[in-house]
Amino acid sequence: MGDYMMKLTKFLTLAGFAATLMTGTAYAAPVDLTLWHMEQPPHRVQRMKELLDEFNAAHPDIQVKQEPQSWGEVYAKAPAAFAAGNGPDLLFTIPDFTTVLKGIDAVVPVDDLVKDLDAKHGFIPATLAPYQYDDHVWAVPAYNMAISLWYRNSVLKAAGVEVPKTWSEWQAAAEKLSTDGKYGIGLPANKQLYTDQTVYSVMVNSGAADIYKDDGSIDFDKPATVNAYDFYSKLAKLSPADNGSWTWGEAEACFASNTCGMILQFGVINTYDTQAEGDAADLGVAPVPHADDQSESATISYSNAIMLTTKDEAKQAAAKVFLAWLLEPANYGRFLTMEPGLFLPVTDDGAKADSFWNDKTVTKYKSQVETMVANSHAGKLFGFTTGKVFPSIGAISAQNVIAETLQHIVVDGQTAADAVKGGQARMSEIAKK
Amino acid sequence: MKNTTLAFLFVSPALLFLLAVLGWPLVQAVILSFQDVGVIGSQGHYVGLANYAAILGGAGFWRALGRSVVWVLGNAVVQTALALATALILNQKFPGVRIARTWVILSWIVPTVVVVIIWRWLLSSSGGMINPLLIQAGVIERPVGFFATRESAMTTLILINSWRWFPFTALMMLAGLTRIPSDLYEAARIDGAGTFQRFKRITWPLLQPTLLVLGVVGTLLSFNVFDVIWLLTAGGPAGATQTLPVLIYETAFKGYRLSEAATVSVLTSILLMGFAFLATRAMTAQEAAR
Repeated sequence: MGDYMMKLTKFLTLAGFAATLMTGTAYAAPVDLTLWHMEQPPHRVQRMKELLDEFNAAHPDIQVKQEPQSWGEVYAKAPAAFAAGNGPDLLFTIPDFTTVLKGIDAVVPVDDLVKDLDAKHGFIPATLAPYQYDDHVWAVPAYNMAISLWYRNSVLKAAGVEVPKTWSEWQAAAEKLSTDGKYGIGLPANKQLYTDQTVYSVMVNSGAADIYKDDGSIDFDKPATVNAYDFYSKLAKLSPADNGSWTWGEAEACFASNTCGMILQFGVINTYDTQAEGDAADLGVAPVPHADDQSESATISYSNAIMLTTKDEAKQAAAKVFLAWLLEPANYGRFLTMEPGLFLPVTDDGAKADSFWNDKTVTKYKSQVETMVANSHAGKLFGFTTGKVFPSIGAISAQNVIAETLQHIVVDGQTAADAVKGGQARMSEIAKK
Repeated sequence: MKNTTLAFLFVSPALLFLLAVLGWPLVQAVILSFQDVGVIGSQGHYVGLANYAAILGGAGFWRALGRSVVWVLGNAVVQTALALATALILNQKFPGVRIARTWVILSWIVPTVVVVIIWRWLLSSSGGMINPLLIQAGVIERPVGFFATRESAMTTLILINSWRWFPFTALMMLAGLTRIPSDLYEAARIDGAGTFQRFKRITWPLLQPTLLVLGVVGTLLSFNVFDVIWLLTAGGPAGATQTLPVLIYETAFKGYRLSEAATVSVLTSILLMGFAFLATRAMTAQEAAR
């Protein structure tokens, strides 16, 4: 009996220890973070997985999991998810998307974190600016993208044209490159974000970068905008006839197949390297040409960022650890090269990071990437140019009013002046609501 | 227990389920339509009939309704023609007819996204197959953009959607054709009726009930098609293919005017329910007349 009691006592003691340990384990359970990003291609998801696995292994108290989304759906899905209490803790964003989520109080300011990261890594000011307003910073810049003019050196040489710097040179080059079965240039005319981006790339090069006045009223209808639309519509005529349904992929395919002589695109390196000649010496990239009365080229640039979207303080602290880890130069380059030659650094030390420049594709196309980085420094984004951000930019961007204005010229045959006037009215109507 | 009570008991789970998945969202949509909610999750205020006045007083709703009518009629005509021809062929006896009846439905079971990708690339003017074929056939001189103009975009969409849906309609018609007694055709043949006369006097009249049901169901299905339009043109070019479902989506999720979108949804529902009610009455009347 005594022996039995002894065993029972031992068993109960052990069970007590086990329960204590289990309870202790529960208290030390890792903080789970859900990250939504819109980098859907499998190789990007894989690279994110590698980075997250590495982070999670090095930080057992934090577990970050990714849930890839699409840009086409996230504008509707994210607000619904937050309304239902199922939103992510971290969410990739672009400037206008941030204004939408800020409007429903889903975004947490990251002032202190950005201040620390800026002191450590040095953010390129243009990448941070679109997220700084209303006395706060609303997202941590993650990577930059800027539109450039892409061409083949051999094609330009064969046609006897120089790399265009001004609009008149650009139009002449596009006309000369338009031969049987070939299109001098491939520009979209779809009512879609890509068209917004390419049209705005032309607008900023005619001095029409601002679409808001300081007081928040719309400043779209002006001679510089009309000139830009007029010029763009002339170039669009030299593009394939189905450009009315183009997104980024069709333009890249047109360039990769050598059907389009030039295109405006954030990057073509990966497609060119894997689906076309892959001859680094022949791939040309240049700033978007400027209007003849302007002196310097500019472009559209999007700094993609990561928003903190959890109100839970433990999760906020964990998310900050993750974001700080991601921007460490040793990790950051591998993050950027999830799509080599497309995502550009937003920090000074990231721009020098070996982890970025040592990537196989980046090394091969080093001169092109350097030009892209240089172009990105002259980048602007519609609605984020005056230092003030107005909430209506989210709806103006989401409804692709810039592209819609172009369609009234290329589809309905309106003059650029009439179309821009209509665009002004449409933006004003949206801003009023 | 009375038979009626028992019948209600049997159907009540299904009715309750329908009420939950259809009735509740509809009630929510009606409530939303009297408010001014913008982005999902934001707060709204009661605005009475302001949304209805704005929508019915503006041009956007009526234009989209007009495009929806064109879309429905276009699909009805093209699908009926294709489906009827197919059903008549499949109703014949020839070697391989069973395989043909199975294979014809392929385009209907292919997922919409795949259909869209296939057609987008086929119709591409820089690498697609259709343009070179049309050039070789002398129909066009240079590649054309099928979604580049208002008229061609809507026509192309109708053709693609009809290509996707006609097999389903054809099988329904085939089912209707097989129900027509063969002795009617034999008697007509003995009386000297030709192919066209047999079709006109026997097939067409006896196929009417099937066509009427298909007309109602097809109209409601076509009216609500969103995926093909959105994925191929997103309502463009310049709004040329913006039907009511596209308008609702754009207003809610691109314009961030959820209450306005709910208002258009409620108006659309009323229109469709009115149509369904009238069509059902017509069918009942026709049934009674027989």
